[in-house]
Amino acid sequence: MSERLEYELDVNGETLPVRARPEATLLEVLRDELALTGTKRGCNQGVCGACTVLLDGEAVRGCLTLAANVGTRAVTTIEGLATNGALSPVQRAMVESGAIQCGFCTPGMIVTLESFLRANPKPTAEEVREGISGNLCRCSGYVKIVEAALIAAGGKP
Amino acid sequence: MRFASPETLQEALALLDEDGARCLAGGQSLVAMMNARLVAPSTLVSLRRIVELSTVASLQDGGLRIGAMAAHSAVARLEPAAPGPRLVCQAAAMIGHPAIRNQGTIGGSLAHADPAADYPTVTVAADARIVVAGAAGRRTIAAADFFKGYYETALAPGEMIVAVEVPPGPARAAVHYEKYSLVHGDFAVISVAVILAMEGERCASIRLAVGACAPAPLRISEAEALLAGTRLDDNALAAAGALLAEISDPIDDARGSAEFRRKLVPRMVKRAILAAKEKGPANHV
Amino acid sequence: MSAFVEPLGQSLPRLEAPDKAVGSARFIDDHVLPGMLHAAIAQSPHAHARIVSYDVGKAKALPGVRAIVTGADLQVRRVGGMLKDETMLAVGKVRYVGEPVAAVAARDPETAALAAQLIEVTYEALPAVLSIDAALDPAAPLIHPDFASYVRTMEGNSRGNLIWDSELAEGDVDGAWRHCDEIVEAVYETQAQQHAYLETNGVIAEPEQNGRLRLIATCQSVHHVQIRVSEELGIPMSRIRVQVPRVGGGFGGKHATNIHSIAAWLARATGKPVKLILSRAMDMEIQKSRHPARIRIKTGAKRDGQIVAREAEITLDGGAFADESPNVLAFAMLMARGPYRIPNARIRGRAVYTNKLRAGSFRGFGNPQATFAGESQIDELAQRLGLDPFDLRLENAMQPGDRWIGGQTIPSCQIAECLRRVRDAQRKAKPLPPPKPGRKRGIGVASVTHISGLMGTSASVQLRTDGTVALNTGCVDIGQGSDTAMTQLCASALKLPVERIAYATQDTDFSPYNWKTAGSRSTYMTGRAVVAASGVVHEKILEHAAEMLECAVADLELRPGGRVGLVGVPGKELTFKDVALRSQFRAGGPIQGFNGLVFDGPRFDPKRALVARLAFDNLGAYAFGAQCAEVDVDEVTGKIEVLRVWSAHDVGKAVNFGSCEGQIQGGVAQGLGYALYEEMVWDDDGRLANPSFADYKIPGSLDLPAEIVPIVIEDPDPTGPFGAKGVGEISLVGVAPAIANAVAAATGARLRRLPMTPERVIAALEGPG
Repeated sequence: MSERLEYELDVNGETLPVRARPEATLLEVLRDELALTGTKRGCNQGVCGACTVLLDGEAVRGCLTLAANVGTRAVTTIEGLATNGALSPVQRAMVESGAIQCGFCTPGMIVTLESFLRANPKPTAEEVREGISGNLCRCSGYVKIVEAALIAAGGKP
Repeated sequence: MRFASPETLQEALALLDEDGARCLAGGQSLVAMMNARLVAPSTLVSLRRIVELSTVASLQDGGLRIGAMAAHSAVARLEPAAPGPRLVCQAAAMIGHPAIRNQGTIGGSLAHADPAADYPTVTVAADARIVVAGAAGRRTIAAADFFKGYYETALAPGEMIVAVEVPPGPARAAVHYEKYSLVHGDFAVISVAVILAMEGERCASIRLAVGACAPAPLRISEAEALLAGTRLDDNALAAAGALLAEISDPIDDARGSAEFRRKLVPRMVKRAILAAKEKGPANHV
Repeated sequence: MSAFVEPLGQSLPRLEAPDKAVGSARFIDDHVLPGMLHAAIAQSPHAHARIVSYDVGKAKALPGVRAIVTGADLQVRRVGGMLKDETMLAVGKVRYVGEPVAAVAARDPETAALAAQLIEVTYEALPAVLSIDAALDPAAPLIHPDFASYVRTMEGNSRGNLIWDSELAEGDVDGAWRHCDEIVEAVYETQAQQHAYLETNGVIAEPEQNGRLRLIATCQSVHHVQIRVSEELGIPMSRIRVQVPRVGGGFGGKHATNIHSIAAWLARATGKPVKLILSRAMDMEIQKSRHPARIRIKTGAKRDGQIVAREAEITLDGGAFADESPNVLAFAMLMARGPYRIPNARIRGRAVYTNKLRAGSFRGFGNPQATFAGESQIDELAQRLGLDPFDLRLENAMQPGDRWIGGQTIPSCQIAECLRRVRDAQRKAKPLPPPKPGRKRGIGVASVTHISGLMGTSASVQLRTDGTVALNTGCVDIGQGSDTAMTQLCASALKLPVERIAYATQDTDFSPYNWKTAGSRSTYMTGRAVVAASGVVHEKILEHAAEMLECAVADLELRPGGRVGLVGVPGKELTFKDVALRSQFRAGGPIQGFNGLVFDGPRFDPKRALVARLAFDNLGAYAFGAQCAEVDVDEVTGKIEVLRVWSAHDVGKAVNFGSCEGQIQGGVAQGLGYALYEEMVWDDDGRLANPSFADYKIPGSLDLPAEIVPIVIEDPDPTGPFGAKGVGEISLVGVAPAIANAVAAATGARLRRLPMTPERVIAALEGPG
């Protein structure tokens, strides 16, 4: 119905062409235009956090970000965290701690933790809980997620 | 829909003059409404590239001028010395969740004017001035006059918020923002903002605003007058709280009934004032 | 070669965890098919109304619209559980605000949504029935006036707006009260809770070759979806194939519903794949909720604490369609007496229709409601008797060999041990700093019971020619870890490392039948089939090896790592590969094992109990537990802060210890939301007022205690696979009464209505005692 805008996005270190409606959110563009379906849609209202991605390293809601408004800021998604096939410390800790159940909150949770731990490399458990307070998980009660974060940070769970 | 991302305020104002045009600040409220198909602006004017809107600067009198596009997380990181700005920055840290704070802006929050949001209440308590620009030029609106009702402000069509100026407030005052919600990060069921200057054991002056209990933040000089000069004893606190409860006009919703919210007013007012008193003025923090 | 580690009990990471961690795990909305269309649903604005006419002209004229279906286009086939009262779309009348009345397939989601809005339906409003009392009023409008013509699999004494009516009794309740020194009686009320899985319901339907339809659905059973679509559309099951991708949580809310048939219908009409993903709002408006309940309950005891009698009347609000109401009712009734030796009990149950969203299965299945009432009342009784709540429970606790109400013998029962363990854990725990001013602290406990087992399941195991194993079941992993658990069970049975087992996905074309992932039954039921099928393979391996080694089968043993050898002679052995090759090329085919079973436990004993119209009569292995909550109550604001929770459960045998802990913690979290603030709220017009995460709040990390301590007790169940039972639901069940009991202990105020919002807490603190 709307005409399409054409622009570029810097996603996971790669410049990618986009052709999308002006009102398309970053979440829609990532999933539908760029086939990066790791970022999830849970509520489309910014509450659940399943759509969390990084913009210039800071966690934001993909569903509340207009893709056309991203500009030259670097987008990092769950697909951009592993290096050469090796899981990042957060990814590995989440896998090994039993912190992943259904897995739907997992991409948003991991992206949030990556950014959080970069800003706060040696957090307390309470700080981790505060850091993930915007990511809903219906399966786990968050306990093992916090344990995984502390392990990734090199501390004791 | 048309999307524009101007680099100057002038360009933005020209675009906003059109019918159906809206500002896109942080998008945390606007894009959520668009996703829910509640609004469909014909033109969306992104303010992201207008550099002057993001600047934060101290004012000569010790106050703080916060650009409309300053993100909550940036404001939360500031540690201003003066009480008024300190109150506003403390509240910023309590808005929503970390990811929301990274994109939400003070201009967006104030323009949205949800009385259950955090900035409206603290800007009213701090006697902030909302700096507004339009095709006709700039003007300043006192926070107390800015919030007209639910999602309703004193902005005229084509006008937008440019900055918020927060005066320093009384020297050596303690500040406290108490937010009561059902779950963390949720909108307030009731919130109370306090700027309290003590003189010995007595209250020298107090600024007191209550949020989420009326279509706009509640603040009345009579309540503050009831407390000034007192020791902030239970009777004085109860009287001020009762006065505020009486003029409150809360809603009934899934979070609580109007009666419950009204009941909380004096309780939360007392709690917030005593917390401010306990904190004391932060000379060194 | 690394040393073999026994897989049973290991906290192995989920098999699919790495995929989930990098974002490559594919959920339904991640699937895109060429030429795929998108579906949208038009909904009823009325709670109760006759449908007068449809006008789809404007919708049809919208460019990009490919197919539209309304109730007028359907051949009416009513589907449902025990009572078949639902149709794919509303036909003739609408029965709740939001009910699907039409659906559209279009080239993109925006066009589909716009087209759905353009469908014009004229209604004649009818008076709406919005509460239990309104439904039971003799003058109430009938929500299902054609009820008598509906197919039922059992008579439920249904009449008017009463869906079902059951009774369960043992002993002589009426005569028992006079032997009681103390009697407590009260009414408890609970609310509609929503599953709030992070991934909403969704499906893709695609016409396949040979006139077949393929569905990919986020669901809890591919077989169940196949059955429903077949019934609802009148298509033979041989023409329907159902597959399942990764599922983002289910909790009972992703069983087959009309959305599968809607997508299938539109796919057939257009000849194209059709994707239907529910928005969060629509998922909350059209799927299902937990049953709101009103429970009048009365318990009597002697002065020394011996509980003599319990009577309960359970009334469930079933919403617009019967769905699983008869079953939820039956289970609530079965659980209402609790894990106690109460000789006299009478439980009556009713479920009613109202003009609201249907209520159905949700983790706990009637037990959270019954347990909130029963376990709150135990504490009220304890207070009356002047006894400690733990002691009263321990005094009356069931013992192994006792019989559940209805007569099933409980061979293993660890309720007393669970109660002692949580009590001791709480006492030994590091004391917390004292409560802040204005807060009072209390601890509360609840006993819990649940069941695993039900219906039928099967598994097949094949030894491949390279010595690896193919394991195939119909059990869908909805995030609770069954893929991994089944693999561990098979690996343990065959002494293989988990990496050598390939676990197949579920697809009705090739998966052996399984009823559903529900009822805490996967580990217990499908696990039994897996172990038995592995056992068949084990036997055949030995038989072949005996011939190859020229010895007797009895002289052979399986050795860890895929080997079989002569007992006592370490050097004399063969690999599984050796045996598999021999089987394939000498005997002509691979070694395979299959096992299918239907739950075969004892049924109700009519000589012992009066059982009238109870929707099931044989269930499964009983599991027990106890939950203890430490709580601060802010008397100024009414807010309840849960500081710590201990949750002890006898799981028989933990197949994956970490998964077990995770399930317990997650159940406590969901139970806490149920206890404190989750509530679906309807306005006076019957509209759901809070269909969004903005207004329906589920617990975030800061809303839960930092310490949710699972205590796993392993007392093997004689019938379970390696002794294992289920743990999927039980940890949700006792959280609300444990918290209510803690609040009462802290403040003296007794809350009898869920959720225990701050407003209700303040009212209870101020109220008349």
